[in-house]
Amino acid sequence: MGSMTPTDAGSRAGAEPARDPWLLAAGCGSAGGSAAPSERSWRAALDWLLAKGPVGRRARAEIAYWLLAFPLSLLVLLPLLFLLAPGLLLTGSLVGALLGLALLALLTRACRTLGRAHLRLAGSRLDAAVTPPAPFQPGRGILGRLDARLRDAVGWRAVAYVILRLPLACVGLYFTVVPYVVGLFYLSYPFWWLVLPLRGLGKDGRVHPLPVSTPFPVGGVRITTFPETLLICLLGVVLLAAAQWTARLAVIVDSWMMRNLLGATGRAERIRELEASRARAVDDSAATLRRVERDLHDGAQARLVALAMHLGRAKEQLGPEGEPPNVERARDLLSTAHQGAKDALTELRDLARGIHPPALDGGLEDALASLTASSVTPATLSADIGMRPTPAIETIAYFCVAELLTNVTKHSRAAHVMVEAIGRDGTLGLSVSDDGDGGARRQPGGGLAGLEQRVSTVDGTLRITSPPGGPTVVTIKLPLQA
Amino acid sequence: MRIVIAEDLAILRQGLAHLLADHGHEVCEAVADGAALQTAVARHHPDVAVVDVRMPPTFTDEGLRAAISLRASQPGTAVLVFSQYVETRYAARLLADSPVGVGYLLKDRVADVAEFVDALERVAAGGTALDPEVVRMLMRASRQAGGVSSLTAREREVLALMAEGRSNAGIATALVVSPGAVEKHVAAIFGKLGLPPAGSDNRRVLAVLRYLEG
Repeated sequence: MGSMTPTDAGSRAGAEPARDPWLLAAGCGSAGGSAAPSERSWRAALDWLLAKGPVGRRARAEIAYWLLAFPLSLLVLLPLLFLLAPGLLLTGSLVGALLGLALLALLTRACRTLGRAHLRLAGSRLDAAVTPPAPFQPGRGILGRLDARLRDAVGWRAVAYVILRLPLACVGLYFTVVPYVVGLFYLSYPFWWLVLPLRGLGKDGRVHPLPVSTPFPVGGVRITTFPETLLICLLGVVLLAAAQWTARLAVIVDSWMMRNLLGATGRAERIRELEASRARAVDDSAATLRRVERDLHDGAQARLVALAMHLGRAKEQLGPEGEPPNVERARDLLSTAHQGAKDALTELRDLARGIHPPALDGGLEDALASLTASSVTPATLSADIGMRPTPAIETIAYFCVAELLTNVTKHSRAAHVMVEAIGRDGTLGLSVSDDGDGGARRQPGGGLAGLEQRVSTVDGTLRITSPPGGPTVVTIKLPLQA
Repeated sequence: MRIVIAEDLAILRQGLAHLLADHGHEVCEAVADGAALQTAVARHHPDVAVVDVRMPPTFTDEGLRAAISLRASQPGTAVLVFSQYVETRYAARLLADSPVGVGYLLKDRVADVAEFVDALERVAAGGTALDPEVVRMLMRASRQAGGVSSLTAREREVLALMAEGRSNAGIATALVVSPGAVEKHVAAIFGKLGLPPAGSDNRRVLAVLRYLEG
């Protein structure tokens, strides 16, 4: 190669026209139009790159993750192999079985800790939330502790993860680093073509091709003209654009492994769900009792106090004996008291119905029929429940539909509402759909959120579809037995 | 009497106002929460304020807190706390500083209009009115603690009426005995509880309550 020689001029002349587009393009960048719009578009492009593109926040996090993960996996695996191999060997040899088992116990313990650290790292770097497993339950005494460690499924799954992690980290690192490095390298091909005397006539008088390596050990082409370098440059752009996806692919595999090997198992997760739903059920019943107390205090109880007060005053007006001093006034007070007694009765009846609707005694279908019949917004019911749900489910279903119907009347301005209740495959599906305004949303502390909480106490679900302009459909699924 | 009422339920607020008007008392203002009560009392300087315990915004004990702060800021105004439940804890808080011109009654007591108005007048005049229910609860609590176990059944009755804020004459009427007999019982009670005999009804209530609260 060496420095340029006069003989280069010929081939150089061939390259000249191809140089122009570069220069033109560069010129356009600085001279085209006023500085402000182009500056703005540059800024926008830069922002996009830093936020979303191949060097965006997520991509950067993933690159950092793999750059960290590879050396860490390597560092961690080697000492663990020193525990695993002698542990297995000693256990197998029977002579040092106890020592071998102790080494293996130590291994599960170390891997458990590592697994937790991994989950934390993944949680902070990748926003990949994996439910961590329940803490270790040690046995009693040294042997009990050893036994518990050796049978610690979480620990052994963590061992599997740590072992599988090294090859994955290799692949992850490769998929992260290589596309970026090679992409940047490709991007710079036209530059090298122009700057480095990589081409030219060799001793045999032929053009020396510029080699293009690939991310893989095999393959590769050699290029001989400048336009070909532009093609390679384009390939670099494609590779850079794809780089974040290849890195993410490895992350997805890793998250899958973490979920299945480091995360809580199905049963542990289920226990946690049940604990949460039990807490909700307790809260819900406490809230119900509070509401009933409040309704009694402000409603029937207050009315009865007022009633007693009116009767007391009437009694005074009638006097202790003989001719009443003020009959007219006593009559007024009595009639007020009478009305008050009737109001108190209504109040108590409503409250009792709110605690347990008597309509439910005849089954959910009947109760829903009476609900829809008394709905302010005209409602039709289509019910096919089949096997009777348990009382708790019937009560929840009834109150959900009652509240949804009230919501329709209060908020939706609907002309008609349709209630469906279908029992199938152990599930009770309820849906309340109206032709109103839509735009219904769950708000913390709101009615729909309250319903959702109530439904979730029995593992039910509540779904709302309510685009602005309507229609609104609320679907509730409850187990028939709970 | 000039009266301010604080009660959030309209039906009871109006009922009370009419009832008191029937008996020739002037209701200066009837309000629905603790803050309005403070303003109304500061404006009218009434003889007595009738205060509901549970009012907006928290619906817990703002009436009680308002009553306690009124007793400090407006010593000229007696306070009758009025509630659908009685809590001995609340009674103790209310009577903690001084049992002068203070009362704590169940709302049920309005059914006996004359007795209620009588209790209110007693409080307005600087006396005490404690609901029999509160007294009963305090007695039960202290009996468990062994406090009044040495009293006879009759003496316990007298103590209960005393704690409600009644005078010896009132107790005599209620129990249908002679005033002299009541005086003997009272002296016996003070003796057994180790309290020095004192002049006024209020001191007696204070003494009884302090003793019962332990």
